[in-house]
Amino acid sequence: MSRSFQLGMSLPDEPLIRIRSGRVWTLIDLHDVWAHSELFYFLVWRDLKVRYKQTILGASWVILQPLLMTVIFVVFLGMIVRVYTPGVPYPLFLYSALLPWTFFSNAVASSSYSLIAASQVITKVYFPRVLIPAAVVTVRLSDFVIAFIFLIPLIAYYDVRPTWKLIFLPLLVVQLTLLALGVGLWSAALNVKYRDVGTIIPVLLQLWMFVSPVVYPSSMVPVRWRIVYNFNPLAGLINNFRSSLLGTPFNGWSLAISAVITVVVLVSAVIVFRRVEDEFADVI
Amino acid sequence: MRPIVQVRGLGKRYHLPRTRNNSPTVRDALVGAMKNFFGRLGGRNGEGADSFWALRDVNFDVHPGEVIGIIGPNGAGKSTLLKILSRITKPTEGKADIYGRVGSLLEVGTGFHPDLTGRENIFLNAAILGMKRTEVKRKFDEIIAFSEVEQFLDMQVKYYSSGMYLRLAFAVAVHLEPDVLILDEVLAVGDASFQTKCQEKMREVHSEGRTVFFVSHNMDAIQRICNRVLLINGGVLTEGRGVAATIAEYLGRNSSNQGPNSLRDEPSKTDLAVSAGSS
Repeated sequence: MSRSFQLGMSLPDEPLIRIRSGRVWTLIDLHDVWAHSELFYFLVWRDLKVRYKQTILGASWVILQPLLMTVIFVVFLGMIVRVYTPGVPYPLFLYSALLPWTFFSNAVASSSYSLIAASQVITKVYFPRVLIPAAVVTVRLSDFVIAFIFLIPLIAYYDVRPTWKLIFLPLLVVQLTLLALGVGLWSAALNVKYRDVGTIIPVLLQLWMFVSPVVYPSSMVPVRWRIVYNFNPLAGLINNFRSSLLGTPFNGWSLAISAVITVVVLVSAVIVFRRVEDEFADVI
Repeated sequence: MRPIVQVRGLGKRYHLPRTRNNSPTVRDALVGAMKNFFGRLGGRNGEGADSFWALRDVNFDVHPGEVIGIIGPNGAGKSTLLKILSRITKPTEGKADIYGRVGSLLEVGTGFHPDLTGRENIFLNAAILGMKRTEVKRKFDEIIAFSEVEQFLDMQVKYYSSGMYLRLAFAVAVHLEPDVLILDEVLAVGDASFQTKCQEKMREVHSEGRTVFFVSHNMDAIQRICNRVLLINGGVLTEGRGVAATIAEYLGRNSSNQGPNSLRDEPSKTDLAVSAGSS
């Protein structure tokens, strides 16, 4: 016989966990995410630790990736094609855009595979799945911060004086991170459901870079295409990121469009992610 | 006395992959949608034939302090039930309410990272299972003592033997102090002395008034540890009068049948043609 009646354990009136059938159309359960905040820190810490443990080059790779790309584009586009960037030296023009671009592209690419890579854990333990891509984006954000430090000697070398516009930089980084998270959540969820998404994403990212003002100024885009061009949320972000660093004029219009699109992408990503989250363990 | 776990009409339907290729692509989805569309125009319904119920109409109540053994042949639905209770997968129908914190260990070493040390993995694994860092710190010595891997604590776990892995993982899980502990046949890897130790620990957990779900094919262990046994066969749950009777029923049925049934066996109560739940 059960001896439980002797123990006098007090049970809560409401169930702590309600398991129900059916699909949900809700935003992420923030309470649940908060309850697992420690797991989030551990996932970030684990990734950082393992990466920097394995390679002495770990930290330097983070700077080398945008730096090597800068060198390549300086040679091919700066010296051979001769892209004209008014008022800004081309290497600086490139590096200040390759920084946010590398962060965005790496964050999206690695979040798209993050859930599949964690399939062992997903099929065996419960926790809000959103923590996995969120941790991946955070790790990439730390890469971005390290690579950013290299920008300081570069700016000093080209003798660019920081202006008051620099105070907007943190806000732009926040928006960039949210956009990367939104696109990352979309691609992570789709990649679990449809495995060919993983192979399309690198191609789409390549394309995305060339429709963004990374290696050329958006002033090279024909005027009648400018409005369409600015519907790429990265156009406003990268242009204004550069302006904030180098003191060139802000473009409020493109930033406003970009901010609206960022919100739309993030909210829709969270809803879609939440909806397919329950199926992950069954289809992964 | 109120139950701590209340399960009502729980069912889980899985879809069998239509083709041998079980990772669908966007292309497959588009082709499937077209087929479905034209199939519907032709008045046929493509749904239903390729699915089966892993679990159907499961009802039970569990009271605090009960140690529940779950037995049944392979593919009967035991793991599916544990996965639903651990919130890893959603039921297709029915509901379950749990009035307490759940800790589950469905596989040894889940969430262990081979490149981190034993010490680091204790914290990581505890975080994955929902334990706070301060709690782990408080219980750290106990976990180490239980796991008996003290001298290897600062070695990367990729060099651990499977027995050491198991001991560390189990040590973390039992020290979680959840109200409901779910164990899916994870003890089979350990040696005899560690298994005994685990069984003692489970009895201790039980005496503290916590609830344990324990899947095993080891009837001796079930008989020794559990004070209640549920039998699942073909997705249907039954319970005999007492532990011994339920085990006898399972063993008797198993020998009269043609052995462990396969996933594809149809649950006796199920009419696959009328399966119209959510997918």
